[in-house]
Amino acid sequence: MLPCSWGLWRSAIHTLKTFRASPSARGLCIPTRAVCDAETIFALSSGHGRCGVAVVRVSGPASSMVLRNMAGLTQALPPPRTALLRRITDPKSKELLDRGLVLWFKGPHSFTGEDSAEFHIHGGPAVITAVLQALGSLEGVRPAEAGEFTRRAFHAGKLGLTEVEGLGDLIHAETEAQRRQALRQMDGELGRLYQDWSYRLKRCLAHVEAFIDFSEDELIEDGVLNQVDSSVRQLETEIERHLKDERRGERLRTGVQVVIAGATNAGKSSLLNTLCKNNTHTQSMTHCRANPHFNGQPCMSALSHTPKYAFFLMTKSLFLMVEQADLTLVVVDSTQLPPDPQLVAAFLQQHLSTVLPSPEAGMTAASDKVLLVLNKSDLVPEEQRERTEGELRERPGLPPACFLSCSTSTGLEDFLTVLQSRVKTLCGDPLSGAPSLTQARHRAHLQQSVQALNQYHQYRDQDLALAAEGVRLALTHLGRITGRVGAEEILDIIFRDFCIGK
Amino acid sequence: HSDMRAVGKWTWLTLKLHLLRHNVLSFVSSRTGSDFTRRQYDVIVVGGGHAGTEAAAAAARLGAETLLITQKIMTIGALSCNPSLGGVGKGQLVREVDALDGLCGRAGDAAGVHFSILNRSKGPAVWGPRAQLDRERYRQFIQSELLSTPRLTVLEGSVDELLVSQPNPEEPGHHRVTGIRLVDGSHPILSSSVVLTTGTFLSGSLFMGQTTSPGGRMGDAQSCAGLSYTLKETLGLRVGRLRTGTPPRIVKESVDLSLAQLQAPDKQPTPFSFLNTHTRCKPEEQLPCYLTHTTPGVERVVRESVHLNCHIQQDAKGPRYCPSIESRVLRFPGRRHQVWLEPEGLTSDLLYPQGLSMTMPPELQLRLLREIPALHRAEIRTPGYGVQYDFVCPTQLTPSLQVKSTQGLFLAGQINGTTGYEEAAAQGLWAGVNAGRTALSLPPMALSRTQSYIGVLIDDLVGRGVTEPYRMFTSRAEFRTYLRPDNADLRLTPRGFEEVGCVTLRRYKKAVSVRDGLQEALMALQSVALSSTRWREKLVCSLTLLYHVSFSLSGLDLLQYKDVSFEMLASAFPECLSQYFEYSQRLKIEAVYRPHCEKQSREMERIRSEESLSLPSDMDYLSLPVSLSQEVREILDRVRPNTVSLSKTTTNHISTVYAILVKCYKYLQIMCLIDKLGYFLCQ
Repeated sequence: MLPCSWGLWRSAIHTLKTFRASPSARGLCIPTRAVCDAETIFALSSGHGRCGVAVVRVSGPASSMVLRNMAGLTQALPPPRTALLRRITDPKSKELLDRGLVLWFKGPHSFTGEDSAEFHIHGGPAVITAVLQALGSLEGVRPAEAGEFTRRAFHAGKLGLTEVEGLGDLIHAETEAQRRQALRQMDGELGRLYQDWSYRLKRCLAHVEAFIDFSEDELIEDGVLNQVDSSVRQLETEIERHLKDERRGERLRTGVQVVIAGATNAGKSSLLNTLCKNNTHTQSMTHCRANPHFNGQPCMSALSHTPKYAFFLMTKSLFLMVEQADLTLVVVDSTQLPPDPQLVAAFLQQHLSTVLPSPEAGMTAASDKVLLVLNKSDLVPEEQRERTEGELRERPGLPPACFLSCSTSTGLEDFLTVLQSRVKTLCGDPLSGAPSLTQARHRAHLQQSVQALNQYHQYRDQDLALAAEGVRLALTHLGRITGRVGAEEILDIIFRDFCIGK
Repeated sequence: HSDMRAVGKWTWLTLKLHLLRHNVLSFVSSRTGSDFTRRQYDVIVVGGGHAGTEAAAAAARLGAETLLITQKIMTIGALSCNPSLGGVGKGQLVREVDALDGLCGRAGDAAGVHFSILNRSKGPAVWGPRAQLDRERYRQFIQSELLSTPRLTVLEGSVDELLVSQPNPEEPGHHRVTGIRLVDGSHPILSSSVVLTTGTFLSGSLFMGQTTSPGGRMGDAQSCAGLSYTLKETLGLRVGRLRTGTPPRIVKESVDLSLAQLQAPDKQPTPFSFLNTHTRCKPEEQLPCYLTHTTPGVERVVRESVHLNCHIQQDAKGPRYCPSIESRVLRFPGRRHQVWLEPEGLTSDLLYPQGLSMTMPPELQLRLLREIPALHRAEIRTPGYGVQYDFVCPTQLTPSLQVKSTQGLFLAGQINGTTGYEEAAAQGLWAGVNAGRTALSLPPMALSRTQSYIGVLIDDLVGRGVTEPYRMFTSRAEFRTYLRPDNADLRLTPRGFEEVGCVTLRRYKKAVSVRDGLQEALMALQSVALSSTRWREKLVCSLTLLYHVSFSLSGLDLLQYKDVSFEMLASAFPECLSQYFEYSQRLKIEAVYRPHCEKQSREMERIRSEESLSLPSDMDYLSLPVSLSQEVREILDRVRPNTVSLSKTTTNHISTVYAILVKCYKYLQIMCLIDKLGYFLCQ
């Protein structure tokens, strides 16, 4: 039984057609069709995580350009819907990214009804990230929003009922997953950073809007705008700085968790301080001592130049158990090692089993989850150290060991190299999430946000409506990350901050 | 005629003039004066305020035989509160109403006594054309316009009840409106559609000090008890309660204007209407306004009188932006608040103190006024008072302003929870258009947010509802740089004529000639292209910006620069540009804004395409055979989104709801397909 009557449906159709036929919209100021063309979007269409083949989909008018650029097709495009094995290169640097299959779909015979292309590439996170980044660097191409492919397909009338049902469920699930991911992100320091920007931007906008909508009759003075000027400038600087420090965001988001474990006085705190080159953490570390065997420490602190983040993650990881950590640094006091190098391996094996919660952890750790740090190497005779080192190098089943002196920094370089390569591997592990996609999206929006803020300064004295447009646009882009901001929210701030009485 | 005399008590006023105007929809032939004996109309409009007059005029322009019923013919077009029209955001609405051939713009030009464009320094997109009005002239203009509108009859009377019957099964809704019955009329007056514009009269009560009396405006009869009953009980509409207020009117002679700051009008008045080149009031005849401020004494009087003030102790929602002096002082204590002293007309001996709306007992009102230096001897002619009234939650309306559950019943103005003349006029016009279309068996129409402030207003109302009296601000419009006061005619007039049918031929022709002229001028500007060096020579001025530009620039590009005016370019290329002098200001604005509008066009297109995915208003979400959670079903059932895009504004789970609506929509689409109709929806 139909839930609606046909009469209205017919009238709806009529209205719909009327809308489409509207000639007035072709009036003076409405831009030409060419400008209205949809943007080209891309996304990783296969699931996240470790997989054999990953599919990256591109849809929109620039798809053929993308295909030509990425797959080095200077001449004709491949016949539609035919797989072609190509070298996939970065269009800017011409660097080889992967070899994979490319497919070309000429609109309207595609999922979205638009020109589309697909890249079937190897499923490694490094490859996926590289391809997505290369795509993002192309003019007029941007990462897709959630559900955007489906939406386009829908608008093109490409979906049947079952497909919509299935895709709807998928979108729902994706939305759920994204929501959870977003929550996780927003919970962290990065989330707070974005929210803070969003809040400040909202205030800026509210104050500009108040100045536009009310200042003539109200007691809203020019000083309001001066405040906005400096706030906008500061926001710009902060976002730009954030964008420049590319890798920080990545690590923050994925947050590789590192635990420094070891017996009392083995030098855990000294190690952390050495890594941070900063003693401000000592205080919070006393909390860490609550656990006699290991302190929870994130590797963030080791690599980030911003102590703020380190501090945050550190306190968060107080309760982190070694088994949940991505990487454990087991600190051993070198002076406690047996003088006979032959016995060192057995000693360390024994030591690991006491420090690590389960013996298996120690064993698997041998592969990539544990690093041994033999601290206070300056207190051990040089000869003994060298011999021990040689001994340990040939010992399978033991994690890599580094001699290090926190007090003299001897061996620090070597240790950092080992640590960094370990962390790098971990960051590329798809099991730790698929950061590249959201990250690329965030970057794109932040960049657009900064550009938009530029418009504020450009028009500040010439045309406040256009200047405000810049702030609005910036907020829209930021809102794609932190959540949409409606006109009502801006009005709420206006009425809270100003007495509007006319 | 004899029939009419038998009714006796009714005062019938009929149209005297039968101007045969061109109208695309005027297949309903013009009728003769004897029609006033009829008991059957296409459209009945109840209420003669800003919404009602626009609605009646619009319906009649469309070609519908229209009856306007008002309590007193003399109060048609009365400005019941402030004597002004327009402002920032509101001025845009006036321009748009005018572009659709409404009344208020031309009335403003006829009645204005002090014209100014607010926000002059902030960019043409947010200019706010505004005028102080002569109350008498405004009323006269509106009345004479209405009385000379063909197919429009005006009747003095009070409506007792709405007549409703079974719905037309072909269309959604639980009821159908069939006409009205007057308080003292025995027989009903029938119509296909009814527009209710009862303002604050729906269960209205007036407050002053500790006294309360029923009514919607001081001096007018209370009314609408029967109507309230029909809306609430018979039709089951949800209503809310809002409050507003008006200041006391002050005798001009008793005011010491030397203690206030003079605010002069613009030297050259800018008319509201696209049809007018000048205003009735000559530049030198304009009257000034005066600005003064509250003092700590005012705050003292407010605090002392709180216990004697019923109105502000009530919790009905008042506006945050037009609060009474009581709420301003209580919310933002210790500040100086502005008070504008505005003229009420050329011959009026009164001043209107904008910003001093108050509801305390009259003797305290006088004490309060006299705490202000300029008003230390002030005499009050009529004291201020507050009004509390019911409004119908506007989420129960479609974008054509029809009540979703009742076929043919349209609501406009304060009854929908808005405030302001301009907001009322805009809704009235659109409700009148759709009431007329319904009566003439044409499909309803909606205005897009992307095309007009009227569209923004209606979309906000029906999509989000109101929690306080809704007023238009430019910040509500996403596409503010396109929805400008200067281009309202281009945005709306052609469509108003070609599709809607509410625009007369004369205005259409004018808009088309302007559009073509501007187009030509823009092309001419684009055709003159020079290198920046050559431009500097030609224009004989130091355009520092141009030093950084290496490629050649067209006249249009150049016009975007702050210091370049069309006149400068025209003097450089007199042969091809001087003929477009009349458009010089509009061309300059166009050149500056065009690139930005183009940037936004994608977003506009998206919103528009989603707006056009209309969902049937009687969709049964609860039993829709798609997988939806009960919670979402209930939300959708309650909100009943009109379009896919609207539903996105109502909830936050954008993707989810989008997917769901796509499902619902798709489900219906497939059903339609079976019915050999569905393919149209995809095309």
